[in-house]
Amino acid sequence: MKMKCAQLILLAGAVLLAGCKKSGDTAADAPAPKDAAGHTRDFTYVDYFPEPNQTQMKSRLSGAEAQPLPGGLLAIKQFKLETFNTNGSPQVIVEAPECVYDTAKNTADSAGHLQLRSSDGKIRTEGDGFLWRQDDSLLTISNHARTVIETGSEMNIGL
Amino acid sequence: MKTFCLIALMAATAGLASHAQPGTNAAPASPRLMHIDSDSEVIDGNGRTVTHLGNVRVTDPIMKLTCTLLVADLPQSGGHPSRIVAETNVVIDATNSNNRSMHATGDKAVYIYNVQNGVTNNTVTLTGNPQPRVETAQATNSADVIVWDIVNNSYTFTGNQHLVGSENFSAPTATNSLPLLKTNLPPGTIEKPGF
Repeated sequence: MKMKCAQLILLAGAVLLAGCKKSGDTAADAPAPKDAAGHTRDFTYVDYFPEPNQTQMKSRLSGAEAQPLPGGLLAIKQFKLETFNTNGSPQVIVEAPECVYDTAKNTADSAGHLQLRSSDGKIRTEGDGFLWRQDDSLLTISNHARTVIETGSEMNIGL
Repeated sequence: MKTFCLIALMAATAGLASHAQPGTNAAPASPRLMHIDSDSEVIDGNGRTVTHLGNVRVTDPIMKLTCTLLVADLPQSGGHPSRIVAETNVVIDATNSNNRSMHATGDKAVYIYNVQNGVTNNTVTLTGNPQPRVETAQATNSADVIVWDIVNNSYTFTGNQHLVGSENFSAPTATNSLPLLKTNLPPGTIEKPGF
């Protein structure tokens, strides 16, 4: 088990990359530093669109810390997900103080708070408890969902 | 009615908002904010829908809507939501620029927005059981299907229409008419004062 955890720590990025395999190539912006406990800190992983937009970022996932848990899970602090259009313009930004990322199912969930906002800030959603299914581009906010929209906003939401 | 937009919806609100705009000399308005609260929410990036579930409450400066389920279709390239569906115990309260209020109820409300051949279609269709109804200061109208044409400020009542005038009900006048038949609208269409 220790070996498995160690591998997960060392390959946290690779695991996350594997979770992004459906959409296209992925890459880490820079090697994520790890502390003595093997926690990956200040990591960023990028998912690219498939051809013909393979040079454009589809999403960028970042966090302040990723701690491997049993079962292929990663406990992420300061979770942040940004999505982009094929022309490079930003779509939405999703932030949560913490969540657990399942590297096998490509999902992230938390009982905690979540905030989502469009790139122009005109659409903002928040709530408590969420499940993000990356492969299905599906975000469920479980409780106290609250959305504020500036009318005239463009509804361009991609996850 | 974005979701009704998102719910009355964003789109509907946007339509209502345009009706409520003051004259061209008005100072620039601050952003109109719509609040949508619900027990839970599902954003489907592939299906291009946003679903609000349970105790849905849409609050806008000129409209309030409550229902149990609200689903907004999101256009592929962004922009105005094309369709918003509110279901179960739908209640709409709105006030126009003349401070005329309306109260509408129905089991289901479908907001549609599209532009075809340069013509904007912006409607809310109320259906379901119990029969949908629209109440104003002048009258209460119920029918199997009620279509609220936001662009033309008119209602179309289809099937088992029932009209009850209030004490304020009066014959049409030049500036404050109800009902006022419009020859360029389908049979059964009446102009709703202020809406």
